[in-house]
Amino acid sequence: MTRYRIVPDALSASLSDGAVLLHLYTKRYFSLNETGSRIWSLLEQQATDDEIVDALVREFDVEKPEATRAVNQLLGDLVAEQLIEPISG
Amino acid sequence: MVDTEDRAELQLAHGRLVRGPGYAAAPRPTRQLLARVGAMLKLRERARYYVHAAGVVAPDGRAWLLTGESGCGKSTLTYALARGGWPVLGDDGVVLERGPRGVTVHGWREPLRVSIELEAWFPELSQQESRVDWQDDRHRVDVNAAFAKRATIGGVVVLERGERDALSPLPPTAALAMLVRQSTFLLLTDDHARSHLALLRHLIECVPCFRLVHTSAQLNAVHATILSVAT
Repeated sequence: MTRYRIVPDALSASLSDGAVLLHLYTKRYFSLNETGSRIWSLLEQQATDDEIVDALVREFDVEKPEATRAVNQLLGDLVAEQLIEPISG
Repeated sequence: MVDTEDRAELQLAHGRLVRGPGYAAAPRPTRQLLARVGAMLKLRERARYYVHAAGVVAPDGRAWLLTGESGCGKSTLTYALARGGWPVLGDDGVVLERGPRGVTVHGWREPLRVSIELEAWFPELSQQESRVDWQDDRHRVDVNAAFAKRATIGGVVVLERGERDALSPLPPTAALAMLVRQSTFLLLTDDHARSHLALLRHLIECVPCFRLVHTSAQLNAVHATILSVAT
């Protein structure tokens, strides 16, 4: 179980079909689809990776293994892009 | 702001532009460029945000933003619309401000320029050949157009050149991503970045967004194309 922190230089704008993320220092921006946008909003609420998976299984038509894969993939991408970082302890 | 080539500096301090080292001695185009960027930053401090997009005013008084990658046809289609009586807010940039009735698009008045190579569609250009900037890659010439000061936003069109004309709804996230891409000052790391992005999101939520893949046929048809989706 890991909890993540959104870095202060990450900006986000959520819309009906997804979200746009922007990192002010790397100058890179990203589009998220509806599921990605929901994951981002759960990160804003400081949900753990396990809590995010559970929420997706409840809210979307998806089985737990697939949701786990999708969440891990996106969290890995967001960490690699320095938009979020794991909170230790 | 510093022009590294001419070592000229213009500073924005407490809402005022102040000449820095090298500014007075710099060539006029350099001073103009710095002053232009300075004005954009000054507006930003008043919650007015420059975006790299063309703006025109439709017959119903609503502003339409035309945006897209460089070379997508913004200036050309803006001039096509201007010839049909649509006042221009800007052909390369406009200023956005959140208002009580949506987003206001303020004009950013600079000479409207189109390529002389379009004279087959715009015959009046043939009289302008002596004024063509041949140093310019696109051989552009300044053209006349009626300008508007401001208008409330009516819609956004992302332009792409293609082999067939097609206008289709653009998902909000894709439209916002394009506006973010065209808003360089959004990337300045100061307190305005969040409100700038929030304004772009608000704009996208307020109005319909479309993608227009276009050929030269739109030079005569773009008015009708936009009016077909204007609500």
